[in-house]
Amino acid sequence: MTKRREIADGMKTRIAPLLASVQARLGPLAGMLRPILVPFLAVVSALMIGAIVIAISGRNPLLAYAGLIDGSWGSGRAIAGTLVRMTPYVFGGLAVALAFRAGLFNIGGEGQLLLGTLAGAWVGYQLALPAVIHLPLALLAGVLAGFIWGGIPGFLKSRTGAHEVITTIMLNYLAIGLAGWLLNDNRLMKDPSPTNVIARTPLIAESAHLPALIPGQDAYPSASAAPEIVHWGVVLAVLATIAASFFLWRTVWGFEVRTVGANPSAGRYAGINVPRVITLIMGVSGALAGLGGAIQVTAVNYRAILGFNVGYGFDAIAIALLGKNNPFGVLLAALLFASLRSGSTRMQSLSGVNADIIAVIQALILIFVAADQLVRWLYRIRARGLEERTTLTRGWGR
Amino acid sequence: MQKRLFTLFLLLALLVPALAACGGEAAPTAPPQTGGGGQAQPTQGGATEEKLKIGLVTDVGRLNDKSFNESSWNGVLRARDELGAQVDAIETQDPNDYAKNIDEFATQGYDIIVTVGFALGEATIEAAKKYPDIKFIGVDQFQEEEIPNLAGLIFEEDKAGYLAGALAAYMTKTGKIGAVLGTDVVPPVWRFGEGYRVGALATKPDVEISLVYHSDVGLDKAFTDPEWGKLQANSMMDKDVDVIFGAGGITGNGALLAVAERKDTGVMAIGVDTDQYYTVTEAQSVLLSSAIKRLDEGVFDLIKAVQDGTFKGGNFVGKVGLAPFHEFEDDVPEDVKQKLTELEQKLLSGEVKTNVSPVKP
Repeated sequence: MTKRREIADGMKTRIAPLLASVQARLGPLAGMLRPILVPFLAVVSALMIGAIVIAISGRNPLLAYAGLIDGSWGSGRAIAGTLVRMTPYVFGGLAVALAFRAGLFNIGGEGQLLLGTLAGAWVGYQLALPAVIHLPLALLAGVLAGFIWGGIPGFLKSRTGAHEVITTIMLNYLAIGLAGWLLNDNRLMKDPSPTNVIARTPLIAESAHLPALIPGQDAYPSASAAPEIVHWGVVLAVLATIAASFFLWRTVWGFEVRTVGANPSAGRYAGINVPRVITLIMGVSGALAGLGGAIQVTAVNYRAILGFNVGYGFDAIAIALLGKNNPFGVLLAALLFASLRSGSTRMQSLSGVNADIIAVIQALILIFVAADQLVRWLYRIRARGLEERTTLTRGWGR
Repeated sequence: MQKRLFTLFLLLALLVPALAACGGEAAPTAPPQTGGGGQAQPTQGGATEEKLKIGLVTDVGRLNDKSFNESSWNGVLRARDELGAQVDAIETQDPNDYAKNIDEFATQGYDIIVTVGFALGEATIEAAKKYPDIKFIGVDQFQEEEIPNLAGLIFEEDKAGYLAGALAAYMTKTGKIGAVLGTDVVPPVWRFGEGYRVGALATKPDVEISLVYHSDVGLDKAFTDPEWGKLQANSMMDKDVDVIFGAGGITGNGALLAVAERKDTGVMAIGVDTDQYYTVTEAQSVLLSSAIKRLDEGVFDLIKAVQDGTFKGGNFVGKVGLAPFHEFEDDVPEDVKQKLTELEQKLLSGEVKTNVSPVKP
């Protein structure tokens, strides 16, 4: 106990003045940086502990982190890979964050994203249309599929009180089962070419491809492509972030959402149609995840394949948490997670460190963010006002 | 002590920003290495001083999966020990990264890249076309067209199945044998199953064979349905079948487990792909042998061929055979062992043919 206190005191005496001086120098900027202080310190702490874990396992943490950084930011291709990787994370993270704002915990991003890939792929290979219509239609199909898959738990919650955590988890399993069924039968969605034994759809038409940001770059990728070419989906992700932020703080609907999230009873007294808000925000949340899935299909894989784009919906929960449910925070968190994932290849080849360390670091980040008191106590940061306290869910039921 | 711990923390805290700084520097230092390897390659010719650099990319899964990845990796490790190669591996975390992980080795000046598993087939073909100077080994990847720098390591599962069938026919006391298999849509499973049938009948024409494929379900289920495997094995054993061949991922393992549950009745099981004595430890006491594909040997042979300059593109047929008998070492008669060894020789040399079509007609 005394040991810990001494460490903490050491932190206090050495780090607090440092922070204070940084704050003083940055002046007005400090106020803007303050909200990201705890997440930032959480990441730093997680990386430090990660380094210790790597060192204990007999590898060189410096080399591992150098590989991580080089693999995600060390070259044009690396940066492109990171940005492409970031895209589904942003959509998934925004989906979770928006629902969080209404006090809802959407664990169904995984299923909504999967449905988005299926719908996007179906429109992509089944229809023959000019690109101006085909591509938007494929993306819209993903949006719609996600909207329905997210709207169902919202509807159930608002009508029957069925808790969205339970229903979204159940719908994830349904989505996985549905995908397995559709992609394994060549009378349904499976690629019917005689040599194909993989559970996947045919390739989508070129008119449904989401083009590369720099024209002429998309000659390389095919079904198993290296996603290292920046496509328009990255821009869409940034636009979606801005739109989500605008929606939350500059529109009446956003105000309603936040009111319902803060206190549904107050919302009801203020004349807000709470059930409608809950249904719609879950739908919008699902639509974002679905759009993320459709973008993966139209920009990266060019088809839906069983077992691809798996786990993004779950990572998204962590990303929303790290981003404090703020759209721009989500963008930063998605960028961080994408960097960790995309740098892990170089890290493995350079240092021989097992890629599992990435999961360890992510988990540590989560622990520090979720238990932000731990970080505040460790680095002696006082919370200023209610704004900075995180409340994740209010508990069960309505 | 506390002071030291704190210093460590502080040191690490300082290291993190420092690392961010080195990131920029690390980028320039890495390429020269690559450049060095790249330059050495063309001028290499007779100069053998350069260490052979081998990179292995796994399918989504672990390097120590006691199955495909591990067997292939063992072949690479053997190349390290016997040929003095430098070896590295990347475990794939996300199927979207197949091509990226292969590229990682390709751009770092590796001479040979081994990719493990059917699923990496397309990414490997693309990479082989993109990097014609690098040799690629695709484990379990059948090549429809020949690419000079890509060898697909494939196996004649029918021969392994034939040996398993012969062994089962020799060992059965009731004259009834069985096989529980994954779906016959997947060619290797079909070859295992039909080879087993042919091998058993060739050994003992009057043997009674119950053979079932799990073809009634989707691909994702066919190999992951241990309950079905158990059910089939149990119903076979109810009908006096006393040797059961389980081939089809976890579905086949289910059959092995069912046999293990009735070990007191003297039933036996035969595993598949790798020596399942080590992978399904619950079935050790009933596991007669396994029909194996020698992935490690195939990978090593191909690496050796690269070093010797005899490497060829297209398909490379790896060896198959039977795993050791382990706990049944004393139960299998010497003359049976003798006959199986001879049979293996004859199958591999082509003297004995299985006449099983490569895919289900």
